[in-house]
Amino acid sequence: MAKKNKAAANEIKLPKSRTSLIHNIKKYWPYYLMVLPGVIFFLVFKYIPMLGSVIAFQDYSVFKGIFDSTWVGLKHFKALLTYPDFRRIFSNTLILGLCKTVLIFPIPVILSLMLNEVRNLKLKKAIQTAVYIPYFLSWVIVGGLIFDIFGVGGLFNNIRNFFGLNTLLAMQKESWFRPIYVVSSIWKDAGWGTVVYLAAISGIDLSLYESAAIDGASRLKRMRYITFPLLVPTILTLFLLSIGSFLELGFEQVFNLLTPMTYSVGDVFDTYVYRVGIQQAQYSFTTAVGLFQSTIGLVLVVTFNKLANKFSDDGGLW
Amino acid sequence: MKWNKTITLLMAGTMAISTMTGCGAKENLTETTQTSAVSQSPGTNEESGEGEKIVDLEVWNTNIGFLEVKKDGPLYNLYKDMFGVGIIQPYVEWNGGTTYQEQLNLKIAAGEMPDMFLPVNGMEVDLAKNGALLDLTDILPEKAPHLWESIPQESWDVIRSYDPSGEGRIYMIPTVIDYPLMCGLIRQDWLDKLGLSIPETQEEFVEVLRAFKNQDPNGNGQTDEVPTGGRQEARWMDHLFAMYGIAIWEGYPQWDVYDGEMTYAGVTPNMKDALLFIRGLYEEGLIDAETLLNDKAGWEGKINSDRVGVYYHWAQSSYEYATTMFNSIGVKPEWVVLPPVSAAGYKGFYTEKKVKGIQWVIKNTTDQEKIDACMKVLDAYGNPDLREQFFLGVVGEHSAMVDGKLKRLPDDKKTMENLVFQPGNDISTVESIVALLESVKSEDIAWAFDQSIANVKSMPQYGKIIAGDGIPNSVYDGYPDIMNRTLYVEYASKIITGEYPIDKFDEFVDKWYASGGEAVTRAAQEWYAKTQN
Repeated sequence: MAKKNKAAANEIKLPKSRTSLIHNIKKYWPYYLMVLPGVIFFLVFKYIPMLGSVIAFQDYSVFKGIFDSTWVGLKHFKALLTYPDFRRIFSNTLILGLCKTVLIFPIPVILSLMLNEVRNLKLKKAIQTAVYIPYFLSWVIVGGLIFDIFGVGGLFNNIRNFFGLNTLLAMQKESWFRPIYVVSSIWKDAGWGTVVYLAAISGIDLSLYESAAIDGASRLKRMRYITFPLLVPTILTLFLLSIGSFLELGFEQVFNLLTPMTYSVGDVFDTYVYRVGIQQAQYSFTTAVGLFQSTIGLVLVVTFNKLANKFSDDGGLW
Repeated sequence: MKWNKTITLLMAGTMAISTMTGCGAKENLTETTQTSAVSQSPGTNEESGEGEKIVDLEVWNTNIGFLEVKKDGPLYNLYKDMFGVGIIQPYVEWNGGTTYQEQLNLKIAAGEMPDMFLPVNGMEVDLAKNGALLDLTDILPEKAPHLWESIPQESWDVIRSYDPSGEGRIYMIPTVIDYPLMCGLIRQDWLDKLGLSIPETQEEFVEVLRAFKNQDPNGNGQTDEVPTGGRQEARWMDHLFAMYGIAIWEGYPQWDVYDGEMTYAGVTPNMKDALLFIRGLYEEGLIDAETLLNDKAGWEGKINSDRVGVYYHWAQSSYEYATTMFNSIGVKPEWVVLPPVSAAGYKGFYTEKKVKGIQWVIKNTTDQEKIDACMKVLDAYGNPDLREQFFLGVVGEHSAMVDGKLKRLPDDKKTMENLVFQPGNDISTVESIVALLESVKSEDIAWAFDQSIANVKSMPQYGKIIAGDGIPNSVYDGYPDIMNRTLYVEYASKIITGEYPIDKFDEFVDKWYASGGEAVTRAAQEWYAKTQN
């Protein structure tokens, strides 16, 4: 009897797994119930809208809708690659993406290691609060402040004038755009970025530090050989998450710092998509740009995930 | 001094934070009102009192910060009494047209196009092509005769040429103005103080700017004067370009005949010379160092704080600048028209267009009630008898009784609803504008209004109707960056600030033609050839 059943199960696999799934659901229904809202959220707000990406292959007209718009294949992708300023936008995006990864990403790590060494709790809290605050300002405001700081009669030019230098309108200088981008990113977001790291640090077993201290390890050594190594998995995870959006630089920041004089170094995919897509209502073309960005993001995540897995046993996201 | 600046900055920071919370609140407000307006707009409502059906229309156009027009609000009721149609207008941030365009596009994409709206940046072409706009050709003369007659036939012919199908149907209501709207405005009182007269040649003009910069005409003991300037994207400084015979409209190069050919003014040798000249002014500090960074508020702030000698804007609204300055710092400026100056070898003029742009389009619908309501609105809008009432708005809100006569009150964005229909601005002649200004001027602000009146009256002689008057935006079809003049702004800005040598202009011209300018020029020339027949 048992043997026969087993043979039948081997022949038709599907019903078995199905019954087991139903069985599973029956048995653990409260868990399934709990996961349901999340699943629905992703279906409704992430997966179903993804189907809309087909308009990248159409000449989409809002009046005809997705189903009646004409199919044009790869026309918009070709248009993107042959767009006269494609190289400029692409390289600007790459350079700023690189700045983001190399110069901006490590700052919260360093900052949290430093914060962790502050022994006076009141001082530590005060510093933490101070570095969090800028995160809550929108880029529109930060952009305005930056324009004021670098304007005629702003702080920057007052300092320059004090040292006998000429007034310099940095916001309209190409060479200043990238440094301002990096510094403003750090100023606004680095403090907030420390939250996860500080949480990870607080999870480190205190006995490790104690025994290291007994063995005579200095504070610097403890930081180097205990805190940092134990922080690496967190850093890797956050790094992989940020590399997925390598080409998505945060539209708001770039847009609010950009002037026509700095287009040549600051015009990136996001600002271009805004100009052409949202303003000119060329939805198909800009969807194609979006797909292009996402594809590159996906390739980067997969590659770096592989590398991370190689680097440490379960360093990758999957 | 330095410390003062630092403290100011700190205070600006705190203020910024507090405004942030303010902004957030406003956004919420807009959102809720938008949804409420949408839910109201499709409905037609039974008026219980009169038993008459009032159709509500959602109408979108420029609102630079006034209150929204809500159902059953004072302005809604005024319009209802005037022409029997309810008008609702949600608050949509204007932001130089950018945010408005974005919001409108989103609405259209969501299938919630307003019933009647101001299209921007050539969006009407695509809408007409897709059959989204109501064909007005036959119903307008029949149902809105006042509007039909108040706009000259030549202008309707231009509008017919806009039909993307080439069949000459009318889908749009134009803005028509019979005199050059904009000009350079110069401080006559500063000239008098320094013993100078209105400059007639370019050399004299530069000398005047130098005097404004160095001789302290505002008399505060500081050299804080900004002789002239403009706004970001090389906008609102057309008086400098005008010296070189350049057809230009608020910083947007226009189409005109150069060397016998219909050409985009942005790529002509005239433009190269103009940029070289402006670059010289920039280097010498005769135009605002922040010209290319100024936003609207920034530049107007400088003008209205008694620091600017020459600015470029509407001749008719110089009184707004004058009264703002007087109300805030007590200085009575005298703004007069700067007649176009000619650079050596060129004939300067202020660009004049009979058809300034498209003011209204109507959403295509088969709902006869809606169509009739739109026609009622348009007929009233074109009715000369109602013009003053449109201008005066709601008594007690936009206007008040002064000496037994209704006068428009000074703008107050906190208490006034946005006046949706301002035919006085859209369909105007020198006479109608003068009459309007006369009708609202009261004793205490007569000095400022008289300046505006004189300015408007002097304008017709300074304009030239450009060959590209009424060119449809469809010539840019497929070349959004050319229409946005992205490349032009970048090169012009960099040449003016000295970042690029002037020779880069030739590179710009080549790039412009290569990146679509050629096709656009061909389309423009074809259109021009057609209008010449």
